[in-house]
Amino acid sequence: MFRGDAAHTGLCAGTAPREFHRIKWKFPTGNRIVSSPVWSDKILYFGGDDGNVYAVDAETGRQIWKRATGGPVPATPAVADGTVYIGSYDGKFYALDAHTGELKWKFRTEGERRFEAKGIHGFQPKTQTIADPFDVFLSSPVVAQGAVYFGSGDGNLYAVDTVTGEERWKFKTGDVVHSSPAFADGVLFIGSWDSYFYAVDATTGKEKWRFHGGEDPLVHNQVGFQSSPAVANGVVYTGCRDSNLYAIDAATGKEKWRFNNELSWVITSPAVAQGKVYFATSDSSLYHVLDAATGKSILHQKDKAYMFSSPTVAGDVVLIGVLNGSLVARDAKTGNTLWEYQTELSKENRGWVLNADRTFNGPFVFLSNWREDPIVSADRQFAVGAIFSTPLVVNRIVYFGSTDGFMYALE
Amino acid sequence: MLARALQSSSASLPAMIKLNQGLNMKLTLIFILTGALVCRAEEPAAGRWEGKLHIPERELQLIVDLAQDNGGTWKGSIIIPGLNVKGAALADIMAKGSDLSCTVKGFLSPQSSGPAKLDGHLTGHSTLAGNFLEGGNSAPFSLQKTGPAQVEDAPRSSPLSKELEGEWRGEYEALGYKRQVTLKLASHADTGGTADFVIVGKRVNNLPVDLVTLEGRFLTVDSHETGLSYEGRLRNGELAGVVIQNGTEIPLNLHRAK
Repeated sequence: MFRGDAAHTGLCAGTAPREFHRIKWKFPTGNRIVSSPVWSDKILYFGGDDGNVYAVDAETGRQIWKRATGGPVPATPAVADGTVYIGSYDGKFYALDAHTGELKWKFRTEGERRFEAKGIHGFQPKTQTIADPFDVFLSSPVVAQGAVYFGSGDGNLYAVDTVTGEERWKFKTGDVVHSSPAFADGVLFIGSWDSYFYAVDATTGKEKWRFHGGEDPLVHNQVGFQSSPAVANGVVYTGCRDSNLYAIDAATGKEKWRFNNELSWVITSPAVAQGKVYFATSDSSLYHVLDAATGKSILHQKDKAYMFSSPTVAGDVVLIGVLNGSLVARDAKTGNTLWEYQTELSKENRGWVLNADRTFNGPFVFLSNWREDPIVSADRQFAVGAIFSTPLVVNRIVYFGSTDGFMYALE
Repeated sequence: MLARALQSSSASLPAMIKLNQGLNMKLTLIFILTGALVCRAEEPAAGRWEGKLHIPERELQLIVDLAQDNGGTWKGSIIIPGLNVKGAALADIMAKGSDLSCTVKGFLSPQSSGPAKLDGHLTGHSTLAGNFLEGGNSAPFSLQKTGPAQVEDAPRSSPLSKELEGEWRGEYEALGYKRQVTLKLASHADTGGTADFVIVGKRVNNLPVDLVTLEGRFLTVDSHETGLSYEGRLRNGELAGVVIQNGTEIPLNLHRAK
């Protein structure tokens, strides 16, 4: 499942290559890939913005099956007991046979939607409600206790029986839930765009506690939990659009510490390993490693562009995707770059979306904040083979998707 | 820089006439006109140039206007319809023989790589081709002369009234942080109004102000480079207004510093 386990620690068994050798294979789809791949029994599963859910042979890159849904699938599937679980923008949640792709059941939510607000991010006209183009992911499910749990744009956290597809309960929040729930000790942890982060009893669906993040009534820019949490040693770690990375006591909901990123979103889901928290930021484009107990900075490195992809820790290597179309492998101890892979679309740099140093070229990306321009700008930005997908490492092969429409296997 | 060049050149015309008081006015006019005609004849770069900028997978329309004033100083402006660039001033214009170069002022200036630049070469009197450099990227452009230049003059700051001159202070809150604002206004006979605009939040921001205008009692201070402006009206000894960034308006009242 997303981030490797139910607690979303972001750890991969085994190690990642410390040098890039070659592309093992590239698998083409019909549209962007925002979803992250998961691996089960030598098969990779992921969603595509072309509306399909894919199963691909992890060794050869050949398609095993694909299953059409009614909308883009920028969510990451969970695979458990021979079933693939995943949600689609069509507002339905699917359970598919992992070997054949056949539908086991589908569950209808109250409907998907993006986070939206009047005057969001300063977009104009400010009296008009505009969907947030940076709300790119759908919630990815977690499977536990015979249920599959996932958030929805309808504001609910759902618990659906894995066998019957019947709703067990739903927990209503105040806005879009595209964060992915983490599960630990019978409790689900998830953030909402209503500015609250919740702990919910997985059996009953009752709230255990809620934690209040920042608010931004002016331009709705510094509000909402888009990041998905990780749980380790009784502490929940989550990023927030209010520019903080929070460490919250899993039992009480009390804040243990926060790390502020000066107005820069923390969309990435933190990875937690060996007493350290790994995460990255959007606008400031910083890769951070913090002490998990204190929140003190251990190191940070400047990257070239925004990071929405989440760091994956694989042995002594940390991998992360960047929106300029690069996958970066860093030494876990020093943070130094070991190698980078740049997608072909990023190299082509159509429309000069990137500067020569691969930072975003503001004047050619952001035309204006009026009407459709911000949406078009975001679209341009995402068109350079941006990597929203969180990398996965299995048997020293690195898998990730790109907005160029390809799923990659690098070795 | 261009605004200053224009201001100094317009100021020099009456000075020149004064120096030549003893000469026949007709002769002076003939001299000026002849000079201008000679310049135009000698400088094929002058005119309106229209064509394409060929960036990868995207062709942009490009219009460049170049002209010389009576003193021989170049001025110019650029239009790129696909990028919302209309009449942006050109600076550092160098025309030597058939080579021409200039930079785009205020627009298309990524912090990491400086202003955008045109490096061109004239072929005859009707073709201008070369490279457009921006953000560390380079792409060819090719332009044809289509007529006389229609250079857009950069807007000029207006003189300020005495009651506005001096130091003003205030405070506003945005995105959870308080910001202290200091605005020092001055009026000059040659350059009109100027402003030192400092906003202190988590760090000290000295905003580069390029335009200060007073229309009636309505003051506008613009920092186009940062996209931040202040608009206010003088009421009862106080500037009541808003700070504007990306279309978002936040109330900011400024009081005279004591």
